[in-house]
Amino acid sequence: MAMPHFTVHQPKTLEQALDLLSRHRSGVKLLAGGTDLLMKMRQAGLKAEHLVSLNRVEGLRTISYRDEDGLVIGGAARLADVGRHPGVAQHYPALAHACSVMATPQIRNMGTVAGNLVNAAPSADTAAPLLAYGASLVAVERGGRRQIKLQDFFRGPGLSVLEPLEIVEAIRVPAPPARCGSAYERLSARSQVDIAAVGVAGLLNLDLEGRVLRCRLALGAVAPTPVRCLEAEQMLEGQAPDEALLMRAGASCVRSCQPIDDVRASAAFRRAMVQVLAQRVLKRCLALAQGGAS
Amino acid sequence: MKNPRIIGQSIPRLDAPDKATGRAIYTDDIKLPGMLYGKLLRSPLAHARIKRIDVAKARALPGVKDVIIGADTPQVKYGNWRLVPGSQDELPLAVDKVRFVGDEVAAVAALDPETAERACALIEVEYEELPAIFTVEEAIAEGAPLIHDESPGNVSLVRKIAYGDLDQMFAQAHYVREDTFKVHAVQHAYLEPCACVAQAEEGSRVTLWTSTQVPYIVQCLLASTLGLPENNVRVMKVAVGGGFGGKMELRPWEFCAAFLALRTGRPLKFTLTRSDELAFGRRRHPMSIYSKVAFSKEGKLLAKDFQVLLDGGAYNAMGPTATYLCGTFGNMLYNFPAYRYLGQHVYTNKPPASAMRGFGAPQAAFAAETQMNLAAQELGLDPIDLRLINAMQTGDEIPEVATISSCGFKESLTKVRQISGWDLKRKDKKPGRGLGIGCFSFISGGVFNWFNTKYNFSAAEVKVFEDGTAQLACMACDIGQGPDTVLRQILSAELGVSIEKIRLISMDTAATPKADLGTWGSRVTLMNGNAVIQAAGKIKDMLAPVLFSQFDLNQIHDLAFEDDKVFVRANPKRSMSLAECVYKALKGRRGEPLTARGYYTPRNKGLVSPAFSFGAQVAEVEVDADTGLTKVVKMYTAHDCGVPINKMSVEGQLEGAVQMGLGYTLMENLILDQQGRTLNTTFLDYKMPTAQDMPPGESVDVDTYEPEGPFGAKEAGEGLAIPTAPAIAHAVYEACGYRCKELPITPEKVLRALGKIK
Repeated sequence: MAMPHFTVHQPKTLEQALDLLSRHRSGVKLLAGGTDLLMKMRQAGLKAEHLVSLNRVEGLRTISYRDEDGLVIGGAARLADVGRHPGVAQHYPALAHACSVMATPQIRNMGTVAGNLVNAAPSADTAAPLLAYGASLVAVERGGRRQIKLQDFFRGPGLSVLEPLEIVEAIRVPAPPARCGSAYERLSARSQVDIAAVGVAGLLNLDLEGRVLRCRLALGAVAPTPVRCLEAEQMLEGQAPDEALLMRAGASCVRSCQPIDDVRASAAFRRAMVQVLAQRVLKRCLALAQGGAS
Repeated sequence: MKNPRIIGQSIPRLDAPDKATGRAIYTDDIKLPGMLYGKLLRSPLAHARIKRIDVAKARALPGVKDVIIGADTPQVKYGNWRLVPGSQDELPLAVDKVRFVGDEVAAVAALDPETAERACALIEVEYEELPAIFTVEEAIAEGAPLIHDESPGNVSLVRKIAYGDLDQMFAQAHYVREDTFKVHAVQHAYLEPCACVAQAEEGSRVTLWTSTQVPYIVQCLLASTLGLPENNVRVMKVAVGGGFGGKMELRPWEFCAAFLALRTGRPLKFTLTRSDELAFGRRRHPMSIYSKVAFSKEGKLLAKDFQVLLDGGAYNAMGPTATYLCGTFGNMLYNFPAYRYLGQHVYTNKPPASAMRGFGAPQAAFAAETQMNLAAQELGLDPIDLRLINAMQTGDEIPEVATISSCGFKESLTKVRQISGWDLKRKDKKPGRGLGIGCFSFISGGVFNWFNTKYNFSAAEVKVFEDGTAQLACMACDIGQGPDTVLRQILSAELGVSIEKIRLISMDTAATPKADLGTWGSRVTLMNGNAVIQAAGKIKDMLAPVLFSQFDLNQIHDLAFEDDKVFVRANPKRSMSLAECVYKALKGRRGEPLTARGYYTPRNKGLVSPAFSFGAQVAEVEVDADTGLTKVVKMYTAHDCGVPINKMSVEGQLEGAVQMGLGYTLMENLILDQQGRTLNTTFLDYKMPTAQDMPPGESVDVDTYEPEGPFGAKEAGEGLAIPTAPAIAHAVYEACGYRCKELPITPEKVLRALGKIK
């Protein structure tokens, strides 16, 4: 399919970007890495006469970590940059892993974490880890600024609560507490350069006695949106995490997913893999949490 | 016999720097003044009668220069099997019926590609939908709808082979087993999607640049479909980004480009997209294979009954050749007294299957080699020992085919056993890990002449100049496999001229000697190599008189042509440079250029191939019993390609073959829905392994000397693509207990076999 002609605007500030959005209103799209947007324009008939690029907006590619504030990922920060940021690698291993294995090196160099979330694909690799870490999005529009919890963000495949004239300024992720372990596992047919057929992220936070204070488990590619596994989380919280319980909790994650049959995998396979990966993720989280405590 | 030094060297491809730096010109890079852009309108239905086509709205769109449908064309059917005109079942544009989703219905020529695409959408076609068939079993069932009226039962071609007393052998055998196997469609996935540019001259002459592996075949078939003399059609190729069998026929866009260029008087280009290729392009034949084998107590193979249904899709394409060769691949590797083969080429309403690296052999070998592994287990024999008992050897006869003049199969088996640590690893089995074996043999070009050419199968023209340089002109088609380098090595070895002093012309049917059947069947090194040697020999005969008279030589002397010099073998001081020798010869010939042509057509070599390659491969895998994922840990290969001309090229062929074999076995699969539409039309969902998926490998060349080959060489292109699937399948069984009889080996199938999912 032929690519339609369009104009690219390159504002230097968020205010200018917001002005451009409201000036053109319809037929305008935000451009960050462009790895999803341009494919949609080229292959899926998405029409946009104006693209407002966020790539020259000052400060929008910043990634910062401080123990007191946690992690702030700028709205135009690249996947590859996030994946190799020392603060991310040290405190958010599940996110660092997702950012360094998803898609291809070229896409990771261009694509952004915010774009991965806003695109709202059920298989978005960064969504499950960020759900596990309790991330929020900071959205700005001309009238002001609001914070949206990631678990309230997705509405369906390709759909989110973000308004057309809003821009994701940043993603905020709380600092992980002590005695905390987190991990992300994904499966795809190719070992590299592939889209996930199933993805599972987890986080375990232990108390001083070694019981589970908090558990977060999230799934990708097995429901219309990335989802949390509340049942498994509740099974673990307040309990001593012995192996049998981890296995049971991992198995219960299957009840949180609603996978479909498609060209990438059957629903039955995805269901089985949710269990296998959830169990692996929980074991890994526990090992990290216990290792961190000693 | 000692070969010249340049034979067997690892010479980097002479075309590599241009390709690696982006300087090489591919067909889509060609832009001519005033050039139009073509687009094809394809059928959205798998099987339908065309009731009406209205192109008025498309024609009226500004920027559209021409629109054609089948009725506008000469409607000459074509196909590569000219020897059997009834097998030529394709028209460039459909006339009465469409037979697969993607069948070409109309073509548009416009000022730019976007306008051409918009015009296609404005063409109105009224279809009467017909019941469609998507499996061979449905197609041959009684009362199935007919896809071609000329082919009752939807079988377009039957091939039978029979010798020995099959019934008696099965009756008296110690052990008999029968199995059925299924293999699926995968695609060549050459990096360069098909493209062509046509330009008309003098009213009725046309030049076509096209991404092809068979310029001569395209020239002949394009001429016949246009109703022009062959000599009015000139086919040229520039750099070609792979073919693997997928570019070895005349294709509709080539016809439409030439036809529209003649009609509009303007040059015209077609370029396909990757999605076009995956959705509508040629592919490897899916097959249903039944095989019954009998063994003696000692493990001697006594008889084989081999029945194959090839799923050809909507047209014959190269399916008839695959149907013939499947039978021959069924008895090429092992020596046994009784054989029966029944191959049937069946039409279905899917995109046509055609030639693809291995030409029927990967499918036949997956079945036959898996069955050998099954039999070995039940006979209580090591799978390599079972093969050693039955392996073909030099001098053995492939019944009704040929006597094998060189064969390193047993050596390959012994070597691969050694390098893979086969015996030790099988004794010390680690859970989740396994070793498996698969073997192959392949042809070095075909003797068969289904194209019905009157010319020799290959030809080369050598010219030498007084500055000591040479020119080699031949139609041999470098599509990335390396003959542009290898043939210059052969000329350099024979004539002693340095490889960098040889200019090559290999891309123009009007400037290279007739004929050459192109790149397929692993024929180029052997057949063109022999033609080059013959031409060089004639040049040497023209140059010899200069030395004999200069040095007043006794006629018993031999001359040597080495290092850009010509000298007396027994007295190297009697020497002159090649340049001086050519200069003097030209003087002596009063300016008559030194040009010679060489030809090659196999003689007294039976009706299949002049030479056969052999080899064995061991795969070592790990299977994750929880996820069903198979990881190939290492591949071990020992193979006999005769004398390798260019070792680096042979290594490249092996690596590429493992990559394709890996995809065929574990990941790649064209998935069609119930209406025959392909669902995975991008590399996101057509899972081709990447460089990062490649396992490490170890290989040994088992050197034999093939008397029919140039400097002892045989094929190394396609054979290596055969053993990977059975080797991995066997290794997966050893690792986890899942025995695959239906490719590909997906995690889901593994888990289902292990009872982990339903």
